[in-house]
Amino acid sequence: MKTYKQPSSVGRFGEFGGMYVSETLMPLLLNLDKSYKKIQKDKKFRKELNDLFKNYVGRPSSLHFAKNLSKYINGPKVYFKRDELNHTGAHKINNCLGQILLAKKMGKTRIIAETGAGQHGVATATVCALFGLPCYIYMGSKDIERQKPNVFRMKLLGATIIPVESGSKSLKDAMNEALRDWIKNVRDTFYIIGSTAGPHPYPKMVRDFQSVIGKEAREQILKAEKKLPDYLIACVGGGSNAMGLFYPFLNDKKVKIIGVEAAGRGAKTEETAATMTSGTPGILHGSYSYVLQDNDGQIKEAHSISAGLDYPGVGPEHSHLKDIKRVKYFGITDKEALEAFQTCSKLEGIIPALEPSHALAYLIKAFKNKHKNKVVILNMCGRGDKDLFTAAKAIGFDVDE
Amino acid sequence: MNNLDSLPKKKILSLFMTCGFPTLNQSKKVFSEMLSHQPDIIEFGLPFSDPMADGPIIQEANKLALRSKLSTQQSLNLIKELSKSKNNTSFVIMCYLNTVRKFGLNKFIKNIKSIVDGIIIVDLPFEEEDAIKKSLSKNNIHLIKLISPMTNEKRSQKLLKNSKGFIYYISATGITGSNKLDYKEINKNVKSIKKMSSVPVLVGFGIKSKKDVIDISKKTNADGVIIGSALIQKYFDIKMDFNKYLKSLKKFIQEVKV
Repeated sequence: MKTYKQPSSVGRFGEFGGMYVSETLMPLLLNLDKSYKKIQKDKKFRKELNDLFKNYVGRPSSLHFAKNLSKYINGPKVYFKRDELNHTGAHKINNCLGQILLAKKMGKTRIIAETGAGQHGVATATVCALFGLPCYIYMGSKDIERQKPNVFRMKLLGATIIPVESGSKSLKDAMNEALRDWIKNVRDTFYIIGSTAGPHPYPKMVRDFQSVIGKEAREQILKAEKKLPDYLIACVGGGSNAMGLFYPFLNDKKVKIIGVEAAGRGAKTEETAATMTSGTPGILHGSYSYVLQDNDGQIKEAHSISAGLDYPGVGPEHSHLKDIKRVKYFGITDKEALEAFQTCSKLEGIIPALEPSHALAYLIKAFKNKHKNKVVILNMCGRGDKDLFTAAKAIGFDVDE
Repeated sequence: MNNLDSLPKKKILSLFMTCGFPTLNQSKKVFSEMLSHQPDIIEFGLPFSDPMADGPIIQEANKLALRSKLSTQQSLNLIKELSKSKNNTSFVIMCYLNTVRKFGLNKFIKNIKSIVDGIIIVDLPFEEEDAIKKSLSKNNIHLIKLISPMTNEKRSQKLLKNSKGFIYYISATGITGSNKLDYKEINKNVKSIKKMSSVPVLVGFGIKSKKDVIDISKKTNADGVIIGSALIQKYFDIKMDFNKYLKSLKKFIQEVKV
């Protein structure tokens, strides 16, 4: 394999990606791309970001050898890259800090964001509080209902939550509304997209900011095991935590990489979010990538127990990595994820978010009694506090006051 | 023959409506009513599940149209049927790229050839248009360009090179159906566009009344207007009584045909 160099200057990952937006947004994206290129070379910006990573987020996040889970699986040595220990409880903060520093440099005075599970919303509200910028979060009303703790967190942090009632009332629709807001308020507003989705330069920019995960993991595993891992596993919704872990390893041919999607009630059912297993290439939110769509190109509603994976699209780089067969993608159902959620809590004393529970479920299912002497890094990209109500309801435990 | 090549010089009126709104059968009546006034242009919106550049009114129209599982083929058939009484009115399709892609570009063109004069693909930026533009122009269909207040002069120049039909100037930095019209800014930008291109410049987004239409014509250099959301809004104003809607639509179009 040649050295991996994606995307192209116009934001293409192979044939995927691009900028499919109206002329009201196009000049803004081109301007954003230019500003992003500029700050990439800016040492002061890097230093500022690294300081925040270290002192505000608590990076580097640790690489934990999950001894009990490894024993239970009776297969490979499993390491957790513990981005759930970050300030705000998930990997999302890495990207938000990068983008808000960029927004400041560009002189923007108002921040908007979309959120599904609420993790990106919380992370955005957090950095807005830190930098003293007004923050508006678009969130599907269905997600507001199932992620109440995060809604309260965002409010505490001073953000305004704008409920989205259109479409499926979840992440996809929140993103539509945020894009509309941006079109309306182009001059003063910076849109912090939370995943490696959307039009160029977002997929690249978000990946770059998140790749701190993989860079650290690489160093840490070399130290712990004196070799590179045999496998990387991460969950994929839009795909930012996965790209963050995968990207620094893409040129290491021997490292096998697995992305785990949410198959909802089953990848072959209508109630799924497994875009790459059940979808076809199409255009959603300004980017050409795999999407769940019907024969007329109407985007279907996704379904997953995990609000963070409940998205009918996926980042274009994942579509590319699937097509060049560098990463393999599998689906895990709600039920399987919920079981892994409980298994991990009991065995490791770590309550994972429902998103990485999908990655855990795949690991337990596919590696059981197999791949001994191998080393796996799983991205523990979020903690489960936000999911307690959803999980309790699904398991049948009464948590109402 | 392309009707867009013989648009009048001034006071061009373009009416936008979503196909299949409120239902497919009622939609035929809506378009027939519009066509009976012989506007210069009718824009047919193909409904899309995620109309990211449209405001709440057109979004709602899309949703209603798609509720009865309207297919792209049905929309194109509707346009074809109406074209029998087209006369001098130009037919323009306004849609999102995924609709065309999924239907298949060649099949799409085959369906609209000699019926439709122009097409606006909202989320197809100039940077990505080459292949599509070529196929369209081979079949004498103009790819209509959008210019926004955010488009700077350098970019406008690239964008407007060889432009055909008309230029759609997005009046407010905003999505369709926004409320403020800044005539000074419109005039400034339209003037600058007209220096770069000889095709008519139409102002769209946010035009709601006879007064707006007259003001655009008096206070700016624009060659005409595009009215969309306001036509759809009437349906919700009269609490979705379809017969009353047709009547109010008739009255409104008569008013704005100044």
